[in-house]
Amino acid sequence: MNWRDYQSMQRVAEVGERFVSYMGEGTGDPVILIHGIPTWGYLWHRLIPMLAKQNRVLAPDLIGFGYSDKSDCFDRSIARQAEMIDAWMEKVGIERAHIVAHDIGGGIALRLATCFPHRVNKLCVMNTVCYDSWPIEAMLQFGHPETRRKVSASTAVTMLKQALKQGFATSPHDEMLDGLLAPYATEVGKLSLVRNAAALNTNLTTEISPLLARIEAATLIVWGEDDVFQPLKYGERLVRDIPGARLVRVKDARHFVMLDQPDEVAGHVSTFLGE
Amino acid sequence: MFGLGKPKQISETEAEGEVERAFHEIRQTLRVSGINLNFRTWAGYQKFFPVMWDAMRPNAETRAFETAADRVRAEAVRIAERLGKLDAATSLRLGESQSYQIRRALDLYHYINPKLLVLTSAVSLALDGERTGGATGSVELIERGAPTQMYPMEMVAEEPEDTRLQELFEDIKQTLSLSTINSDYRTLALWPDYLAAGWRALKPITKSEEYKQASEQLRKMAGEVAQTLPYGVPLSRERVEELGEDADEIIETTRKFEHILPSLIINIALFELDWRTPDTLVQSPFPVAARRDIGNRQGGGQ
Repeated sequence: MNWRDYQSMQRVAEVGERFVSYMGEGTGDPVILIHGIPTWGYLWHRLIPMLAKQNRVLAPDLIGFGYSDKSDCFDRSIARQAEMIDAWMEKVGIERAHIVAHDIGGGIALRLATCFPHRVNKLCVMNTVCYDSWPIEAMLQFGHPETRRKVSASTAVTMLKQALKQGFATSPHDEMLDGLLAPYATEVGKLSLVRNAAALNTNLTTEISPLLARIEAATLIVWGEDDVFQPLKYGERLVRDIPGARLVRVKDARHFVMLDQPDEVAGHVSTFLGE
Repeated sequence: MFGLGKPKQISETEAEGEVERAFHEIRQTLRVSGINLNFRTWAGYQKFFPVMWDAMRPNAETRAFETAADRVRAEAVRIAERLGKLDAATSLRLGESQSYQIRRALDLYHYINPKLLVLTSAVSLALDGERTGGATGSVELIERGAPTQMYPMEMVAEEPEDTRLQELFEDIKQTLSLSTINSDYRTLALWPDYLAAGWRALKPITKSEEYKQASEQLRKMAGEVAQTLPYGVPLSRERVEELGEDADEIIETTRKFEHILPSLIINIALFELDWRTPDTLVQSPFPVAARRDIGNRQGGGQ
């Protein structure tokens, strides 16, 4: 599916003063897919059809990301994003869901599992930020306020495209990379991404580290083992700290494990959710 | 095209010093989420632009200015109602989120364009040496800052890579005698199929005599309401020349916007009518409260 088709299928919900665009497919127990930075719900386009065979799959664009609200001047921290997911679930009538999340989406998922445990059925995180694993240097630089002036939207997209390639073990199609970055190809989109990058705050995962031992949700940790952004050692630490968690190492995969090895990852997730 | 080439624009990311200050003030005072083409174009005259803005700001932050724009907007809706319907979205497979965002984007321009026209008319009057203003009683100020639910002024590039969009922009420019594509169309181009369908329906309407007369009617109305603004506008051809700017070029640029904006306001109203009722559209999409804790200011302005 190309990104324009994906975009045309997105639904929308107003959550307080912001709006959230999201994909919704399938029926069954709800599964919420949470993307990271600098992507959007389209990150999951390969997994959604496979997971939707047995579940109701929902993939929101975080606020400030994708085709959700990109106005300026609001909190985009992962703490706020977790609160937003909580409020959005209320809005779309989902009491409790399986959470599948990647990168900073994983940080949000860990906050949901620790601060809003009643919302989380099963938890699956992939190459997630955690502890002090983040922000990576490239994102710290991108979040500098001067990026707005010094880097045009088209240059930013070109730079990000190069950076994203390092997150793949396979060779991603240009069209897919363009799709992952499409919402950020305008000046407003770029500025929104700069603000998102500026909001990255490692304290928001370190402060919940002592709470990981209290997570009661069944937890699967999936890791593209050659990830250069979020090294495997963090997945190995998470599996020790979250009671009963399992770690699946995915070969020939880096940060974007669900795009490097979509069939294998979908298989692991489907099996886990069906157990 | 009024004999003008394409004047240099200054974008928000390029703005520095006094231009940057004025851009910030414009966003706050006009309560808008971005800087429209006429400001980006005026900003190309870097000595004139901050002086023009400082001359207009006392009016732009008043209830009287907001009400004047509200009247222009309401008139445009009534005009658009008579011109017909676009039905731009009928033949398209727009998603729920896309439709929602298109409506929000249209509301942004439905709100700001009438304010731009009143402001431009007032500047034009001042440059022509006509008196405006003269309030004597108290003048209510409105709150500052873009409404939290206003859509950001997101736009595709002025010269997009997509050849279909290039052709569409070229057709719009040719048909409407624009030297530069307006922010409105660049925003609607975020949904290229929607803009293309809308333009297909709009283009023949813009060629009708009724449309041309309606645009002229709206331009005249804006000129009239601009004369009723509370404060005089301390701007003149002589002042522009003192600044060392090309007064003829600035006056011609200003007139050009004064002629373009009425059509643009009607066009956006036509797009809006596909989504909302006329009775809804004659109301401001972003009603504004009075500014608190400052109190009303006495007439006299600057």
